[in-house]
Amino acid sequence: MVDYRRDIPLAITFIIGVIAVLDYYTNIQVFIDTFTVIKNWGVVLQAFALGLGAINLLRVHGRRITEKRDGWYFSAWLLAMMFLFILVGLMTGKYEAGATYNWLYNAIYLPLGATMYSSLAFYMAYGSYKVLRARNFEAGLLFITAVLVILGNTPIFPALFPGFFNMREWIFGPIVGGAYRGIRIGVGMGAVVLGIRTLVGLETGYLGRR
Amino acid sequence: MAILTEGRLVPLVAFIICWVATYIAIQMGQQGKIKIRRIPGLDAIEEVVGRAVEMGRPVFMIPGRGTFTDIYATQTIAALSILSYVATLSARLGAKLYVPMTSVDVLPVAVELVTDAYKVEDKIEELDVDEQLPYLSGTQFAYASGVIGMAARMKPAGNIMMGPFWAESMMFAESFNRVGAMQIGGTARMYQIPFFAALCEYVLIGEELFAAGAYVSGDPQQVGSIAAQDWYKLVALALSILGAILATAGITVIGDLMRM
Repeated sequence: MVDYRRDIPLAITFIIGVIAVLDYYTNIQVFIDTFTVIKNWGVVLQAFALGLGAINLLRVHGRRITEKRDGWYFSAWLLAMMFLFILVGLMTGKYEAGATYNWLYNAIYLPLGATMYSSLAFYMAYGSYKVLRARNFEAGLLFITAVLVILGNTPIFPALFPGFFNMREWIFGPIVGGAYRGIRIGVGMGAVVLGIRTLVGLETGYLGRR
Repeated sequence: MAILTEGRLVPLVAFIICWVATYIAIQMGQQGKIKIRRIPGLDAIEEVVGRAVEMGRPVFMIPGRGTFTDIYATQTIAALSILSYVATLSARLGAKLYVPMTSVDVLPVAVELVTDAYKVEDKIEELDVDEQLPYLSGTQFAYASGVIGMAARMKPAGNIMMGPFWAESMMFAESFNRVGAMQIGGTARMYQIPFFAALCEYVLIGEELFAAGAYVSGDPQQVGSIAAQDWYKLVALALSILGAILATAGITVIGDLMRM
């Protein structure tokens, strides 16, 4: 039995997928032009989807404010900032066009983002501590390798002992490079097979229904 | 003008062979001729959800920061298949599922998948879409701080991270680790795999993520298609070894062929 809610999107996926493949492999102008149009449609649809995100934020945080839940004032602050950015953006234009928007972005968003990013150093230090405890032979090898790479990355050790830098390069080249390529090949294969499964309608997760 | 784009003849032939191999593998899977190895990280998903039920704490599923229009779309699609599976298990077992979202185009699909899973399990009244699938932010660190905050407040019993991740992967893995969540991480982004390996109980490395949707579906046709990946890898391995030996001997025929 034909399930139109499932079969029509699958047919559209197949047709667009075939056009995408032909656009990539061939020089036939009609496929190149068609796929350009499809990509533009994608951009437009994504712009509309942004509204869904804003609606979700309004619903979730609006509810928290009206129900006066714990920390409701954070929700109020979030919505206030969202509307402020939207209003200033609409009124003055953003980035190069609007100095006010630019100021808001540079004075509020950028430092907050930089703060979060810099906190990564602590997360990584803690992660390294967990991984580099030499509890067994393999962990011991990992620890020694990590120490050699870290020393090879510092300016002073390679300056004093040139061998450190060469050792780091050797670890990154033949050892890490080989493993890296192996995983890359697997990822490529996996992506291609997933693409084929999607085109033939076996993989339907992206449709939002099984 | 040539019909084929320059330098893409061999990739096209490889793609066609891959298509044929996948078709054969699907047919063999349908006939029950394909057996694949167990993937512990995927088998453990049920354990994570079950743990959340036993502890009376929520379970998180984070489908990464990819969209349907970037080069990581395949990872996002794989992540959504896992989301569907996790949502079904959560609805069936009674775990509270949270799926913090960052991609606006993935959001409606995720909502549809989770709603569908709860409907199938006849538990739709237990789902609060706005609360359980919140859109946090479209930017990286605003989203990351939102997820970290949720983890700190809710102290989830489990966290499943599948899909494309960037620098936030370490923040997530560490934050959930700190609140005692059992974690499964999976990504095909090479630089993030070590972070997951450091802090997650189970890790899906690279291609395992793409096999995940087929694996958890249990559908023999889909499971069969995973075998095609392995066949193809064997061919790549054989070509690599042969190419290395020939190149050492000064014969570059394999390399030249690949550039056609």
